[in-house]
Amino acid sequence: MNEPATLGEALSRRGISRRAFLKYSAYLASVMALPASASQAIAQGLAKARRQSVIWLSFQECTGCTESITRSSSPTLEDLIFDLISLDYHHTLMSVSGDAAEHAREAAMKENKGKYIVVVDGSVPLKDDGIYSTIAGITNLQMLKDTVKDAAAVVAVGSCAAFGGIPHARPNPTGAASITDIVKDKPVINIPGCPPIPEAMTGTLAYILSFGKLPELDHLARPKAFFGETIHDRCYRRPFYDKGLFAESFDDEGARKGYCLYKVGCKGPIAYNACATLKWNHGTSFPIQSGHGCLGCSEPHFWDQGGFYKPLAAHAGVSAPLIGAAAVAGAAAGGAAAWIARRHQQRYLAETEAIDRSVGKDKG
Amino acid sequence: MELLQFSRGPALTFAIAVFLLGTLWRLIGILMLERRRVDAEARPGTPTPLAAAASGVLAKMWPHKTFLKSSLFSVLNGYVFHIGLAISVLLFAPHVLFVKSLLGISWPALPSNVVLAVAVITAGSLLASLVHRLTNPVQRLISRIDDYVSWAVTFLPVLTGIAAVAHIGGRYETLLAVHILTVCAFLIWFPFGKLMHAFLFVLSRGTTAIRFKQRGAEV
Amino acid sequence: MTAQITTSGIPFDAQGQAEESRRRDLAMQAFVRDIAMTNAVQLEACVRCGLCAGACHFFVTTGDPKYTPIRKLRPLEQAYHRHVGPFAPLFRLLGIAPRVTAEELEQWQELIFDSCTLCGRCTLACPMGIDIADLVKQSRHGMFAAGLIPDRLELMDRTTKLWGSPATPAEDFADIIRETGEERGVAMNIDKERADYLVTVAPAELTEHTKALSDAAKVLNKMGYNWTYHSKGFEASNIGYLNGDIELQEKMTRQMIDTAVKIGAHTLILPECGHAYGAARWESARWYGEKVPVRVIHMTEFLDEAVASGKLKLKQINQTASLHDPCQLVRRGGVLAAPRNVMKALGLDLKELADAGAVGWCCGGGGGVVSNKRADPIRYRAFELKRRQVEDANAERFVTACGQCRITLNLGANKYKWDKKVDSLLELVADNLID
Repeated sequence: MNEPATLGEALSRRGISRRAFLKYSAYLASVMALPASASQAIAQGLAKARRQSVIWLSFQECTGCTESITRSSSPTLEDLIFDLISLDYHHTLMSVSGDAAEHAREAAMKENKGKYIVVVDGSVPLKDDGIYSTIAGITNLQMLKDTVKDAAAVVAVGSCAAFGGIPHARPNPTGAASITDIVKDKPVINIPGCPPIPEAMTGTLAYILSFGKLPELDHLARPKAFFGETIHDRCYRRPFYDKGLFAESFDDEGARKGYCLYKVGCKGPIAYNACATLKWNHGTSFPIQSGHGCLGCSEPHFWDQGGFYKPLAAHAGVSAPLIGAAAVAGAAAGGAAAWIARRHQQRYLAETEAIDRSVGKDKG
Repeated sequence: MELLQFSRGPALTFAIAVFLLGTLWRLIGILMLERRRVDAEARPGTPTPLAAAASGVLAKMWPHKTFLKSSLFSVLNGYVFHIGLAISVLLFAPHVLFVKSLLGISWPALPSNVVLAVAVITAGSLLASLVHRLTNPVQRLISRIDDYVSWAVTFLPVLTGIAAVAHIGGRYETLLAVHILTVCAFLIWFPFGKLMHAFLFVLSRGTTAIRFKQRGAEV
Repeated sequence: MTAQITTSGIPFDAQGQAEESRRRDLAMQAFVRDIAMTNAVQLEACVRCGLCAGACHFFVTTGDPKYTPIRKLRPLEQAYHRHVGPFAPLFRLLGIAPRVTAEELEQWQELIFDSCTLCGRCTLACPMGIDIADLVKQSRHGMFAAGLIPDRLELMDRTTKLWGSPATPAEDFADIIRETGEERGVAMNIDKERADYLVTVAPAELTEHTKALSDAAKVLNKMGYNWTYHSKGFEASNIGYLNGDIELQEKMTRQMIDTAVKIGAHTLILPECGHAYGAARWESARWYGEKVPVRVIHMTEFLDEAVASGKLKLKQINQTASLHDPCQLVRRGGVLAAPRNVMKALGLDLKELADAGAVGWCCGGGGGVVSNKRADPIRYRAFELKRRQVEDANAERFVTACGQCRITLNLGANKYKWDKKVDSLLELVADNLID
């Protein structure tokens, strides 16, 4: 069987109807908040797109990101997109292939030099020359550098790759770093989340394939289409926040009534992600809907924000001893100032009396 | 995010430390000055000093009728932004949680959109007070840098708070961090300028009331 | 003693030959010496709301913001921040403490003396409860120490030191009393060795208001009390209190109290004078050094008590009358009901002024302003306010209980050819005794 030349061709061979394909394009345009006309452009772009060579590297990670994207109850178009890109190397999926997998990676790099996309999940340990994570005897750092060298772009999938994630959490024993910490000379797109929303990932890839360019990114290199708004702003519980109705604990009346989870530590207001709109498992639910506050997993340092159940408004480590010391010091300084002032006044009084005597004023 | 962590961690710690240090320094430095005894025979029926001071503090909450005309704007506008500030600071749910995290005490909050409306009114009232200060010849003449700094560190937290809640002018976490930093500026300036009147007004009204009540005079 | 003008064109007087820097140091020392906890609290509490201006007759009648009462405290405040305030050591260490200049003191002379009657309306209006009037008075201590007070006040100061009274040498006092008694046919007591009541006088009573001397005697005789005037302690006006000359204030205070103690008086009666009341009733203990062992009361309080006792029967005048509340007696002294009670006993139908009692407007001449020629123009403007309110009240008589207020109001009346005569409450009582 010949390799299909374009995505459109590959899809039709798989028995995907044009109608279903257009539907997907329209869906994609809608979730990425593109104008309706973009739907047609996506359909045309995708149909004509050549199979993109993708190399998927997995470093310090938990496989949650791959799970998120690959494990579905039934095959979907998104999965097929994945199948139909030329996933030339996926460390996790191909691990049983051993040495052959590494050869496949090298071959793909050679064949698609300057055109392939590197997808990375997991952070890269830098401490002690990166020895804390190696694949086939190669450190993650080395493999990343080698692979990225001839890549067209890099997609950092999941919070570990995007921001260091959990390996980067204090005290960060392996010196874990994000991809953007290391790759400076290639375009990097971050699709954070722990794990990221599958649609954010496939949508971004589809956009690149359709339009041949990177989507609009925010200051953390996240596609604005998926990370442009906070969970809080799109949360269905937002009206309760505005009305001042809060769950005070996870099993109180407020929690049962579905009130806002701000007081029990929801990080929705500072979490930029699409969970509240796209939801998970084909639009079934998302954490807040299931009664738990947002962890803000798509944000840098989400693990080190002082506690998932601590309200966002809480201070972050105000040092009581330091403040106590300041209070004691202030009281002491005040006492000392008053003492100095009194002495100063006495001296002045003595001086004025001396002057009075010198001019011989009558003291009555 | 880094800025937010900085603002509500080290910056806040520093600001609270300066606030406590400076406030206690200033208050104790004043209160431990020499006290001059007033040995004049008090008029019969003089209330105890504490009662006199308390009644003076209360009496000064509203001007004598005859002064009301010349002071109407200042009095009303003063009430608007003082009450507005009290509501915005004390009855906004995130603020209640902040205080709870700091002191362990909490109380019910008002709906967030109500507080937002109050904050907008407060900001308007503060702006009006600035305009009055700049245009009223008396206030303009007697104003000092302290007055403008104190105004700014009071106004900015209100403004940035509104901006953060309403998502105006930046990303929420950035605005929140800036909001907290402006509060830090408020706390740091507080002990050194006229914001201290929040404590001093009780002492000042009280001492004068004690003096006047023992004379049987009005405060 | 020379009248001078600051570079910004403000007239001022200076006494003595001290260098400017020396003057500044002397003023600072006196400012610093006097600041206690209460003053500190109040100097710290201002929020610059400016509401005190609306209470001040000099601002209200001229519209000039320089007369804003709280602004008059600037030199005192600077001394406070440099030497006494809680951050003073830090300010001095860093060299950023504000430092008052001699030029500023000269400029402030007009604000601390000419345009402040110490009436305390500003204190009443201050939302922070700052006793501005008291702090202006305290500022005068430093100005006096620096030799920077108006010459007219300094002249009174020197006269008082020399004579024991700004009006007449003390050795003439007994003669004046006797002559007045003879002239008006009233039995006078002078220099009695023992008496229950020591009666004191105000300077004006030794010159133009001598009738007050015999009127007081008439009332006391009527009551059948053992009373006396005394050459060793008669002067109650206490020029030191007004001028910021605390030594003189102490001396004048002691003279009266010591004399009262010496003759075994249980009560010291102050004349119809406002500042005498402020100085003797409320401040004498400070200068006497302990609680004053005699009861100190104002003539108005005495009359009120006499009427209330039923022993003093008065003819009914049956006219309408307005009352000018002397600031030191009413607003700052708490004697609000007494003059009204006495007026009622006289059958006067009280038509209150629009601003009466504690909020009453000053006559414009208190705090030495009436004696300070330089202040005449603004004093007359302040008088306008009072005149308007008196005219609006539309009563047949206009009464007050302070000689200085009377002089000030009569000066105003003369200037504006106003036909309202200001009556003394004491004189009305003395003229209407029922035998």
